[in-house]
Amino acid sequence: MRSFLPPQILRLVLLAVGIVATYSVGRLLLTPKSFGEYGHYRGAALHELADRPRNFAGAKACDECHSDLRDKLAKAPHRGISCESCHGPANAHAANPDLALPKLTDAACLRCHLANPARPAWLKQIQPSKHYSGDDGCVGCHLPHQPNDSP
Amino acid sequence: MNVSRRRWLGVLAGASGWFSALPATRAAKSAVRHLLASGGAPRDYDPTQHRWLMGLDVDRCIGCGTCVDACKRENHVPEAATYFRTWIERYLIKKPKPGSGELRGEVLVDSPNGGRDGFPNSLVPREEILKAFFVPKLCNLCEHSPCVQACPVGATFDAPDGVVLVDPNYCIGCGFCIQACPYGCRFLSPVTHTAEKCTLCYHRITRGLKPACVEVCPTQARVFGDLLHPTADDPLQAFIRNNKLGVLKPHLGTDPRVSYAGLDKEVR
Repeated sequence: MRSFLPPQILRLVLLAVGIVATYSVGRLLLTPKSFGEYGHYRGAALHELADRPRNFAGAKACDECHSDLRDKLAKAPHRGISCESCHGPANAHAANPDLALPKLTDAACLRCHLANPARPAWLKQIQPSKHYSGDDGCVGCHLPHQPNDSP
Repeated sequence: MNVSRRRWLGVLAGASGWFSALPATRAAKSAVRHLLASGGAPRDYDPTQHRWLMGLDVDRCIGCGTCVDACKRENHVPEAATYFRTWIERYLIKKPKPGSGELRGEVLVDSPNGGRDGFPNSLVPREEILKAFFVPKLCNLCEHSPCVQACPVGATFDAPDGVVLVDPNYCIGCGFCIQACPYGCRFLSPVTHTAEKCTLCYHRITRGLKPACVEVCPTQARVFGDLLHPTADDPLQAFIRNNKLGVLKPHLGTDPRVSYAGLDKEVR
């Protein structure tokens, strides 16, 4: 069998075809299936990032059991504040109501209401050393959900 | 060129065997991928149908640090005070020296532990302060993201829903994006050794929840919404309507989408 191409050229052509074939097959095998779904990246990455577990349940989950407290809060100056703002992440509690949320201390009140010159003037701020405080702390005088009312 | 019959047959057999192995490899790969992807992912979430945005109101931020704490707990951000996906900065602008004719005095910026535990009263006495305020910071969701351009392996990308994300499987942890981000919003995780950043709580927003920081903000200094599907009482639409908006470092041309209301010109 006589080749129609000089052998050195044929070898080069075969080499080139081999390189291209290896590249295309490697690309076929190694490129993730979802690559290019939305752009020049792995589309599945979006779903993987969306798949992570969460700690905060969200206001809707709180409303399912505690809508009475939400309605109370809606009439008080603390309206619009999510339960988890003060009470902390509650996803575990929402899944299993027997798991109680940690008790809150005065630190939870002072986190927002401690006087600081950088805080805006519309926010009610106190200096604990100058503010009346009994033995029961903040909740001795203020109902946390209706801070203008006393217990 | 003489090729023996035996060799031809060998080559043919090898090639056919290789081709028949292709579908098997494919199947094995997809099986492994199926195994690795855990259940419960919102498969019905279509990123092309949303355009998320966060707005921040400087005048409403009280520097309580609840958002920083919530972000750390929700996203398992490393505890050390050098890793934050969101943080609060306190700007303290001193009065100018009397008779100096200056606009303002010295500008002091601090963020102790990212503001997570609140801000201690600063050493500057109240009467020396011209004004002071808090600025919450997070990924600015740039239209032209320097981090995306800097990534040498294409691990960082602009998702169609407006969020800038990092694919942890692709990230090689080189840190170029951390250098590139003019807002300092990224860090190299000491756990995964990949770049991490604010994802707008991607695992929450894809399920119809608000990002953790927005959820817990007690003063609605942070608002969040979908520009493609504004609802009737959308806080983001009201925020855009009622405020004069600005962005951080507009001169860089990054075109940040995260909008601030009440920005001072000293804010960097």
